[in-house]
Amino acid sequence: MTTPATATTPERRLSPGAKPSGSIAGLLAAQVLAEVRQARRVPQFLIGVVAVPVMLYAMFGLPEAGQIMAGGTDIGAMMFASLSCYGVVSLAIFTFGVDVAQERGSGWLRRLHVTPMPMWVYLAGKCAMAVIFTAAILVATLAVAVLAGGVRFDPARLVRTCLALMAGALAFSPMGFALAFWARPRAAAAIGNLVFLPLAFASGFFYTLNALPGFLQDLAHYLPTYHFGQLVWNQLGPTTDVVAFGSPAPDPLPVHLAWVLGCFIVFGALAAAGYRHHLGHEQS
Amino acid sequence: MDVIVASGLRKHYGPVEAVAGITLAVAAGQIVAVLGPNGAGKTTTIELLLGLRRPSAGQVRVFGQRPDAPQVRGRVGAMLQDANVPESLTVAELVGLVGRYYPYALPVGEVLSKAGLVGRDGVRVGELSGGQRQRLSFALAIVGDPDLLFLDEPTVALDVEARRGFWEQVHGFTALGKTILFSTHYLAEADAFADRVVVIHQGRVLKDAPPAAIKALVAAKTVRLATDLPLAEVRRIDGVEHAEIQPSSPGDVPAGLERLVVQSNAPEQLLRELVSRGVALYDLTVVDTDLEAAFVRLTRGDRVQEAAA
Repeated sequence: MTTPATATTPERRLSPGAKPSGSIAGLLAAQVLAEVRQARRVPQFLIGVVAVPVMLYAMFGLPEAGQIMAGGTDIGAMMFASLSCYGVVSLAIFTFGVDVAQERGSGWLRRLHVTPMPMWVYLAGKCAMAVIFTAAILVATLAVAVLAGGVRFDPARLVRTCLALMAGALAFSPMGFALAFWARPRAAAAIGNLVFLPLAFASGFFYTLNALPGFLQDLAHYLPTYHFGQLVWNQLGPTTDVVAFGSPAPDPLPVHLAWVLGCFIVFGALAAAGYRHHLGHEQS
Repeated sequence: MDVIVASGLRKHYGPVEAVAGITLAVAAGQIVAVLGPNGAGKTTTIELLLGLRRPSAGQVRVFGQRPDAPQVRGRVGAMLQDANVPESLTVAELVGLVGRYYPYALPVGEVLSKAGLVGRDGVRVGELSGGQRQRLSFALAIVGDPDLLFLDEPTVALDVEARRGFWEQVHGFTALGKTILFSTHYLAEADAFADRVVVIHQGRVLKDAPPAAIKALVAAKTVRLATDLPLAEVRRIDGVEHAEIQPSSPGDVPAGLERLVVQSNAPEQLLRELVSRGVALYDLTVVDTDLEAAFVRLTRGDRVQEAAA
C-alpha cells in the first residue's frame, strides 16, 4: 500500500463557500492592521512606547524650552530630537525584540509556520507598525513641545528630522529581531533593557554628551545610536547649534550614515542567522 | 491517490528515539486516527508530517511534495498542541487574518459556525474559556479550507460533552472528501470517528487496521471484579476480548471468589450475563482501557508469536 511519490497530486477539493483570498498587498494590509490593533489594545505597550518618551520630554525638555541658541534653534527643539531618538530606538528594540520573542515563546510563530504565509510578511507587518508608532511618538512629543513649551520649529528642518527618525525605526529594527531570535523568550525583555538603557544614555539622548564622563564621550563614537543621534540633530539645527547644545562636532554625513547602515547590515545578518537558528531549533 | 506518503520515518531527540521507523500512506478522503498512549510518538509523527520537524531518517511527501513547500502549506490545516495565539485580537479578527494567509479561505461566519463559535466573533481571544480556545484552534485549522487536516489530540482538554460536540463539528468537515489525520489516546474516539486506526507504540506502528479490528485486539473497557464464576466461563461471554486472574492477597476477597481483570467491548453484556447467572459479584469497576497497559500486552504477544514462528 506504500506508493512512491506520485506524479499527479490529488485535486483540490474546495468547499462551496471558499473564496480566493486576494492579493499579497491585501494580505500585507491585513497583517499591518492586525499588528496595530494588537498594539493599541495593550496599555503597557502604548505606555512604554509612546508615553515614556513624552513624559521624559516633559521632565527634561520642557524646562529648557524657549532658550534660543545662536543659530536660532530652540534647546527645547533639540531635546525633542534627543528624546525622539530614545523613543525610536526603544521601539525598534522592544517591539521587535520583546514582542517577537514573546510570539516565539508562545507558539504563535510555530502556528504561523504551518500556514503558507511567507515570513517576510510577518516581519513587514512589524516594520510597518514600528513606523506607525514612531509617527505617534513624534506627534505626541511635538504636541507637548509646541503647546506646553511654545517651542518653534523650522518647518523644513522639522520634516527632515521626522523622516530621519522614521528611517531610524527601520534601521534599528534588525537589532530587535536579532534579540528576538537569539535570546531566550523570557530573557528578551531583561536583555533589551540591559542593552538599551546604557546605549541611550551613552549616545547623549538623556543628557548631552559634554555632560557625561570623558570615557563615555569617547565611547559614544563607537555606538551606532550616537551616529543616529548626530544624523537627527543635524537635520534640526545648524552645526554650530548642535555643538552649542552639547554634542561633539559632527563627522561628515557619510560617516554617520555608514555607522547606521553598517548597524542595519550587521544586525540584519545576525537576525537572519538567528532566525535560521530558531528554525533549526524548532525542527530538531 | 495518496495524500500522505511517509517512509521509514525516524526522529530522535538526543538518545531518545521518539519515532522509530514509521511507514504510512494515507489516501485522499480517509479519516485516520493515530492512537497511542502518552509518549508514544504521536505528536512527533504529526510534526514530521507537517514539516515542522526534520526527520532524522526517512522521507515525507504530502500531495507529492515536501511538506514545507508553500503549495502544500496552502492546502494543509493543523490544530497543534501548545500553540497560543495573540490574546488581544478578537475571534473574528484572528480567523479573518489567518484566512488571508491561505490562497482560498472560508468566510469567517461559516468558519465560526463550523467551529461552534457563533456569537463569539467580537470576544477577545484572551477572554475565551479553555474549551472555546480549542474551538478557535479548530477554526484556525479549517479557515484555509484545507484538503488535509491534522488534529493533534484535539479533545485532550475537553470534557465528555464538549468532546462529542467537537467531533460533530469535525464530521461536518468530512463531507467534501477532505482527508483528516488526528491523534488521540481514546480508543472510543478512534473507533467512532476514524475509518482507519494506526496504533503507535514506542515510535512504531503496532497495528494499522479498521477500528473494528483494533477493537478486537484492545477492548475499549476494562472491568475489574471479584467473582466465583470460573475464568473460562467469563472468557466465553460476548464482547470479552481478554480476561485474566489478578493475584490478590489472602483475605482481600471473600472465600471462593477470585479477582479478575476483563477487557471487553460490551461491558453491559458482561454485567447482564453475570447478573442473570446469579454469580457472586464483588468490588466491581468499569473504566476506559489503559492503552499503555494494553499495548504492552500486545507487544508481548507479538514477541511470543515471533518466537514461535
